[in-house]
Amino acid sequence: MTMQIEAAVHRAISSVDDPEYPGISIVDLGLLESVEVDHDAHVRVGLIPTFSGCPALAVIATDVQAAVDAVESVQSCTVEWLSSPAWHTDRISHEARACLEKKYTIAIQLGQRSPTCPLCASKTEEQSLFGPSRCRSVHVCTGCGETVEVVRG
Amino acid sequence: MDDFEAFLNDGGIVESDDAMPDEYRTAVFRFIELHANSEHMGGLTERDWIPRTPGLRHKMAVIAKTQDEFGHGHLLYMVAADMGVKTRQEMLEDLFAGRSRFHNVFHYRAKTWGHQVAIAFLVDAAALASQQAVFKNCSYGPYRRILKRIIAEEGFHMRLGEDRMMRIAQGSKMQRELFQQAIDDWWWPALQLFGPDSKPNDLLLRWHIKSERNEVLRDRWVQKFVPMLQSYGFTVPDPGLRFDEEQDRWVAGPIDWEPLKKTFANVGPDSARRIGEAAKHWEDSKWVREALATPLPELSDA
Repeated sequence: MTMQIEAAVHRAISSVDDPEYPGISIVDLGLLESVEVDHDAHVRVGLIPTFSGCPALAVIATDVQAAVDAVESVQSCTVEWLSSPAWHTDRISHEARACLEKKYTIAIQLGQRSPTCPLCASKTEEQSLFGPSRCRSVHVCTGCGETVEVVRG
Repeated sequence: MDDFEAFLNDGGIVESDDAMPDEYRTAVFRFIELHANSEHMGGLTERDWIPRTPGLRHKMAVIAKTQDEFGHGHLLYMVAADMGVKTRQEMLEDLFAGRSRFHNVFHYRAKTWGHQVAIAFLVDAAALASQQAVFKNCSYGPYRRILKRIIAEEGFHMRLGEDRMMRIAQGSKMQRELFQQAIDDWWWPALQLFGPDSKPNDLLLRWHIKSERNEVLRDRWVQKFVPMLQSYGFTVPDPGLRFDEEQDRWVAGPIDWEPLKKTFANVGPDSARRIGEAAKHWEDSKWVREALATPLPELSDA
């Protein structure tokens, strides 16, 4: 029974989208670290933030809480923001990465090399360390000239 | 031009290095420049409120929103400059000299926290609705792709605005009075953000920059916010507002467009101070741009 609840809780959390990227689940972005369900169906969810100053933390926690509370047989739910491990771009799933590139024209920084342009696959160059959000910088494509935002690693 | 318009009517998307008629280039450029200027001026308003915002939770949101607005402005200036009409430097110089335009709502002063709540709740919703209507059918590719991200972030601002509104609406008598005063002060500027009725031959509509007429967007906003504010016990400062039983909808009273025209001419209630502050801020932050542009000295092994 506990395992069934755990699976249902996992599905519920997967349905929560990042408030700044509608259509992309927080699970695919690598924000979910742990789900614990005890024998009395009390749930503990551990999340990790991309950046500690992210303004969306309260909204995400509220959405996760509501999603888990709606799962049948769950008695109670606690949502916590964990201080470790630290989030990194390698926690983003392939699906979310493809969606960020295709739908949002956002590339992901993995390792030291500047990411390629989501439109034409040419090299991008950093234009500004900071963009509209703490977790993104601004690059320019050397091929097509597109302004590309990059999720910083 | 006929071929070009046929291309647009077929859902064609124009990229920055494509050939395009000068009239189209100028119209799109002016529209993006207005948007960029407005994000920049909006960022400055948010920044003013970082030290004045009550509570850590709201303060964190205001800090992030400040970065958001400047970041949006930054991206939009890049896209606008790419069109080859004006450089970014020229756009900023025009803004600081009062030669170019930015949205009407940034020509008023946000004097109280209540005002900030009303702005986040009413004005952000109006701005988001306008941007969504542009994104829906925008024929200029680079702008459309950036709008996609801007809209996602502005949607998040809306949630923060609702959160602020709920807290103040459920607060003390004093908080509720503060918010009612803010609604009285900001209702009309927010409603006028949509602009006067679109002209029959509006080129921005014809060239698929805008997808909906100003009056349609404005009316939709009225239908949403009148009942919402009333349900929380607040009043809307429009003496001509009435509910049409037959049509089952709210009908706004006559609109005085004079205040909007003044903001277009950069002579609104707070225009001079705002533009002056923006120019001063740009000057004060010069050292940061210079420092960032200076290459780091080579590290020696010695």
